[in-house]
Amino acid sequence: MAVDPAVTIILVLVYVVITLVLGYLGYKKTIHAEDYLLAGRDSHPVIIALSYGATFISTSAIVGFGGVAANLGMGLIWLTVFNIGVGILLAFVLFGKKTREKGAETRAITFPDLMGKIFKTPKLQFISGIIILLGMPLYTAAVLIGGARFLETTLSISYTTALIGFAVIVALYVIYGGLIAVMYTDAFQGAIMLIGMTILLVLTYIYVGGVTAGNTALAAMSDLVPETLASQGMTGWASMPELGSPIWFTLITTLVLGVGIGVLAQPQLVVRFMTARENRALNRAVLVGGPFILMMTGVAFTVGALTNVYFYQHMGKIAVDAAGGNVDSVIPLYINTAMPDLFVIIFMLTLLSAAMSTLSSLYHTMGTALVCDLWGRGQTCAMSLRANQIGCIVMMVLSVVLALAMPASIIARATAMFMGLCASAFLPAFAVGVYSKRPSRAGAMASMLTGAFIWFFYTVFIHTAEAKALGISQFLTGSVTILGAPWTVIDPLVIALPISLIVMIVFQLRERSMEGKSRA
Amino acid sequence: MFSVFGITDPAIWMGYALAIGLAIACVIYGALNWNKGGRNHGS
Repeated sequence: MAVDPAVTIILVLVYVVITLVLGYLGYKKTIHAEDYLLAGRDSHPVIIALSYGATFISTSAIVGFGGVAANLGMGLIWLTVFNIGVGILLAFVLFGKKTREKGAETRAITFPDLMGKIFKTPKLQFISGIIILLGMPLYTAAVLIGGARFLETTLSISYTTALIGFAVIVALYVIYGGLIAVMYTDAFQGAIMLIGMTILLVLTYIYVGGVTAGNTALAAMSDLVPETLASQGMTGWASMPELGSPIWFTLITTLVLGVGIGVLAQPQLVVRFMTARENRALNRAVLVGGPFILMMTGVAFTVGALTNVYFYQHMGKIAVDAAGGNVDSVIPLYINTAMPDLFVIIFMLTLLSAAMSTLSSLYHTMGTALVCDLWGRGQTCAMSLRANQIGCIVMMVLSVVLALAMPASIIARATAMFMGLCASAFLPAFAVGVYSKRPSRAGAMASMLTGAFIWFFYTVFIHTAEAKALGISQFLTGSVTILGAPWTVIDPLVIALPISLIVMIVFQLRERSMEGKSRA
Repeated sequence: MFSVFGITDPAIWMGYALAIGLAIACVIYGALNWNKGGRNHGS
């Protein structure tokens, strides 16, 4: 590796020191449990926007999905459309304000606590906490892997050392500084990400000869699409796959819809809305959030696809072949081979920022779910700071173990899985909960359990990508999946979410009509 | 063949146009509602 180790170490140290100082500021401001759990409900709009955006965008989005774009092409830009349209506009305008109001009204301090208080039963707090603890470690492990893979190649250290070192540094400021530290560091990290991704886009287009020339070169490579992908419907890296083909279904249902919609009910993001004192802070955050997300996923997907042009021009290979077949290695390899030394370091800090900002929020959400929502459910959640800190440590250790056990090329899929589970289980109950004056408690419980169960069942027994890796269906039924095409390529979310939504609506309408009758 | 910045598939360049358009919509929304939803303005 050509990067000067001394310069790298100095810049990384400066970065870590700034992060820890911000973490210390958070620690100093953390006096009550509400500070630790909800940043005192008084966050600045720019901090909310950058923190939401930086948490939303992890190494999964940049390394994992950038790699997927290198493999499947620019069609992934539709995920950016959803990221901004659904993940920012809908999330802040439709859900954010209502969530903030409900959170302030009920004094809820975590997402499961909010669900429990809206529906007036600690059971929902418990169920939400359980779903978080089942699904979130998977996503956390994926984020850890993304960060560690890049540190491994950039700093030439062992993967295990990178993974553990990375996990511990983030845990340090989360444990001591709580959500204030998480949001301060997120905002700093978000700013670095913005700088890094802007430089990445500009340099990439310079390398491939300009915007039009680069895109034209990419479109002209369609005859180089590997036979395995072409036979499944891929037509090129600058065009959409054939409508209805297996790759089209994966791209649209798993990546675009699964991740695009899944973002709406992610507990670690929902909590951000509750940190605003007033709705106008959320309006202002939209202004920063939209362009921020465009510069994150839009750039990652564009550059990911264009790496094919670069690698073909320099090595005579398409990107995934250049990376030895591992989709997760494409972006790190591209950065390390194509970019100037200084940028390799800037991009390393960008990725560290992306991973740390997401990771810190996931630790925080899992730790508080364990302590507030499972152990201390139904209480005012005024648990000691120490208990929440221990919760964060337990979940950090669990995620590291899981990350060490997970296979290669898993980052994007694990991210999509977590988001699919969140949407299937939480979205209908959450949406009705924040909008309805008398939301149906039984409906919320039925909807959450149905959504989570169908999602798990479909994942384990029908959706080939996961069913094959898990092997449970093979073990129990003797076949990889219990249904055939096209069901095996349709994402579990596309099935589980509508059913969960129907269950919620049916219960809600039935209760309202019964209320109407009893009044009459 | 018609292309936008070298991209001929309308499903791709429309995706880009929509993504950029939505980001601009966020800026406009934030600017227009900058002071709405304050403590004295209701929600």
